[in-house]
Amino acid sequence: MRVTRFLAALALVVLAHALGLRLIPGFSQAVDLFLVLVVLNALNGNSATALLGGLAVGVAQDALTGGLFGLYGCADTIIGYGAARASQRLVIERATGVLPLAAVASVVQQAIVVGLATVMLPDPHLPAPIWLAVRAATSGLLGVIAYSAAGWWRNSSDRRRRRRRDRLQMD
Amino acid sequence: MSERRTGWLLVVVLVCQLVILSLQAPAAGAGGNFLESVVLRVLAPLTRAVALATGGVSWVAEGFTRQRRLVAENRELRARVEALELDLTQLRGVEADLEQLASDLDYQVPPGGRPRPADIVYIDHASWLRTLVVYVGDGAVERNQPVVAAAGLVGRVVLVAPPYAKVQLITDRTAAVGAMIERTRRQGVVGSGADGLELDYLPRQADVRPGDRVITSGIDGIYPRGIPVGTVASVEPADELFYRIRLDPAIDFGLLDRVYILSRPPLPEPLRHPGAG
Repeated sequence: MRVTRFLAALALVVLAHALGLRLIPGFSQAVDLFLVLVVLNALNGNSATALLGGLAVGVAQDALTGGLFGLYGCADTIIGYGAARASQRLVIERATGVLPLAAVASVVQQAIVVGLATVMLPDPHLPAPIWLAVRAATSGLLGVIAYSAAGWWRNSSDRRRRRRRDRLQMD
Repeated sequence: MSERRTGWLLVVVLVCQLVILSLQAPAAGAGGNFLESVVLRVLAPLTRAVALATGGVSWVAEGFTRQRRLVAENRELRARVEALELDLTQLRGVEADLEQLASDLDYQVPPGGRPRPADIVYIDHASWLRTLVVYVGDGAVERNQPVVAAAGLVGRVVLVAPPYAKVQLITDRTAAVGAMIERTRRQGVVGSGADGLELDYLPRQADVRPGDRVITSGIDGIYPRGIPVGTVASVEPADELFYRIRLDPAIDFGLLDRVYILSRPPLPEPLRHPGAG
């Protein structure tokens, strides 16, 4: 069930990413929806599932980007594991707590990708720093929004389940 | 799973991925492996669905002004077709002369390659790692086949995952195109620099100026000769020996809608790299 939910979320991220690129050509420079999914998946603190989730998301992102296959796979695997370990030590009760975690994760992810590209590719022409900052900011904001939305969805599902149970008990 | 085991799992996964990366690095951009092909085959239908949906929405949204626009476009296209038919007639004459000359000299003209249309289902031309995914349908597509648009060169096929194919754009960091100045036939290599496309290895004594058209030279074993690559935007000395030449690409990648894959097979690998054995 959890795996199904994760795969559905990944499919949704791919659709949203493709739609974003259609509407705004520079979308992928400023927004990284895949990273937001990796971070949200890691918030439950389970480092094994976070690591594997990061691997799956990274592989999907690699298939949709140019250059070497495996740059985002490596980076998102480390980010997933790191975010899960951070979640074990931090208590995130509010959505705003996700903002610094996602922003730092974005910076670290881009540092890993750039580092690997520098080592593996001849003369890789690194991305402009301004876009690194923009991506970190948008990742943080989107993380907050997605976390709030997930929380609202969970609460409304629980309310619906309780109401159904109460109705059944009354009957 | 205990944290210790998870740590070991992380190490194993990272080592496997670094090995995959290392195996690709010497031929960066020539890549494509089985895992990438499988994942692309799974994800590309999603991006294609988005492409079809947004195309449909645009079509409906433009419906109100469509008729007026179509009448004007029809008029313009008729004039263009007339001009193109005139060019075609002249070119047919030139082609016949070329074939006659080739026959007289016992010389075989290399094939130009028939273009096959392919729909774009995913394009990311602005980010640091650029890519293009096209839908090729049932037709056979091979790696390293050139991809062009009406205005000029787009790139080459780097991964085939039927019915999709991944294309390396000429603006990609690892792309290189054998090219020449059309006016002087002076040859160089077009690659992606910090500020866009650049034509490298042109010596300081070469005759080159802004506005010169750059076309493929046909010597790299992948792209046939004569496809527009771009126009010289600026010429500056890079060092004592060479120029630093910036190009305006022939293609506006933001407006690409459909591309064509040339069916001419590329030069076999041993002939492209004679020393590699």
